[in-house]
Formats: sequence, C-alpha cells, structure tokens
Amino acid sequence: MTIKEIAEKLGLQPLTALSERTVTGVYISDMVSDVIANAKAGNVLVTVQVHNNVIAAANLVDVAAIVVTRGRKPADDTLQLAEKAGIPVLFTELNSWQIASHLYEAGLR
Amino acid sequence: METGSARLRYEMTGVRQGWLVVEHEIRSMAKRAYFSAGPASPVEEYREGRDVWTPAEVAQSFRFDLRDHETGETIPFDELLGLAFWGSCPRSSTIWELGDAAQEHRISVYVAVTFGGGEGPGLAPAKLRALNRYFNERLRDPGKRILILPDLFGLYREFSHGHIMVDLGLTAMQ
Repeated sequence: MTIKEIAEKLGLQPLTALSERTVTGVYISDMVSDVIANAKAGNVLVTVQVHNNVIAAANLVDVAAIVVTRGRKPADDTLQLAEKAGIPVLFTELNSWQIASHLYEAGLR
Repeated sequence: METGSARLRYEMTGVRQGWLVVEHEIRSMAKRAYFSAGPASPVEEYREGRDVWTPAEVAQSFRFDLRDHETGETIPFDELLGLAFWGSCPRSSTIWELGDAAQEHRISVYVAVTFGGGEGPGLAPAKLRALNRYFNERLRDPGKRILILPDLFGLYREFSHGHIMVDLGLTAMQ
C-alpha cells in the first residue's frame, strides 16, 4: 500500500507532497532517540511531536511518511524541511491509538 | 520503487537508554555535556574544586554499539553525543548552506557531535565510516544517501544542544 492510498483511505490531510512510496509497516513513538534506534525504512511514523528533530530522525532512518496526530501541526519551516527531505507529512485530529487502529484495519502490520 | 533488503553488514547492538545532561558552571557559565546511564536524570548541583556545576538541560538519549558482521568486531560509540541534522541548524550557518545544497542532490547531511567538542579527539575516521555505512545500508529509497560528517563546524561549541537529535524539551510538548 502506498502513502497516497493510505492518506485517501484514512482521510489523512497531507501537509506536504505525497509520494507513491510503498509502506512497509508502522512505528509509533514520540521520542527521537527511539525512532533512530527502532523505526525501520519504509515505516509510517505516528507521533505527536512537531519539532524539526522528528523530521531529522525520520529522514535518517528513511521512514516513508510521518502522521502527526491529535490535531497538532508542524510550523511552516519544519514542513519546508520535510518537503526538502522528501518526507510526506500528514495530519489528523485523531489520537495515536485511533490512527494506529485504522492503519491496522487497513492491513498494515 | 525501492531496493530490497540484502544481508546487512552492521547491526545496532547494546542500546543503553539514559540522559544527556547539559550543565553549566554557576560563576563562569562554562557549559559541558555528559551522558548519564542512571534510571533518573541528575538534578542536583555539585562542587568540583571551586566550581559549582548545575544541570541546565536534560534530554532522554541513548548509547549504542555497532556490530560488524564482516569482521566480528563490536564498535562502541560512547564518545558520540548525538547527530545534528543540517536543517535543524541556524540558516546563517555553514552547515545549513552545505546541507541545503547537498539535499538538492538527495544527500542528507548530518554532523557527528562528540562529547568534549573541539577539545576531544572527535569520532575516529573508521567509526565515522561504520556509522555512515550503517545508516546507508538500511535505506530503501534508492536515490537517497546519508552523509555523516565529523564536527568540522564547531557545533558543540557554537550551537545550543537543541540542534542535536536528542529528546530535549520533550515534556514541554511545545
């Protein structure tokens, strides 16, 4: 399943350009160090964090996209950084647990 | 299209959770950082000769080793304070300009900042090479590269530790 398909299926609002990249799984974390140590390339990262360092960590481990939950939106310069790094950032009013459930129901493991 | 996952040479092992403590000396306002592996972050100030050091910032962080499956060697990275992403540094800095130019070619530049900064030995070239290989061999996006540079930019001295990828200010939630 691609990022674009997931966004459409779950009604996620893209804050940066989407990609046709295939998603390999989901990782949920609000800690930069945890993302670096444990997230895998191709994962969707689900987080409430909107700091530049989340983009930096996600880029380092090559996550396929970031889903920011609970209605939080990164600042414009953070989104510009994500755009430059080619990481789609999506937004939802749902919390991390709710969006994780939807991602599971969509077939992601 | 993405690359497949061939057998990887390096594996991250020995992950130790802990705290990055940035402390300052009360009179001189000198600043330094260290890693504390204890279950709780240090909060007490302490005396060292005439100096009194007090924690200024505390971030959750971790230490790790890399196991080289080709040589059987385990490479510790205890001297690594953290990695700084070019895009998290000030726009007026050299690293930002360099990183911005490299990113156009899909090369993401990071700087390996070590404890002790310019006064310390920095990250040995062999370790830097291993770190670059570790992150690059995991990439699935074929056009993308990670380039981790030594701290030739004085990031340890010049910038706030907030530019380094650790969980500073995590509890503030902005």
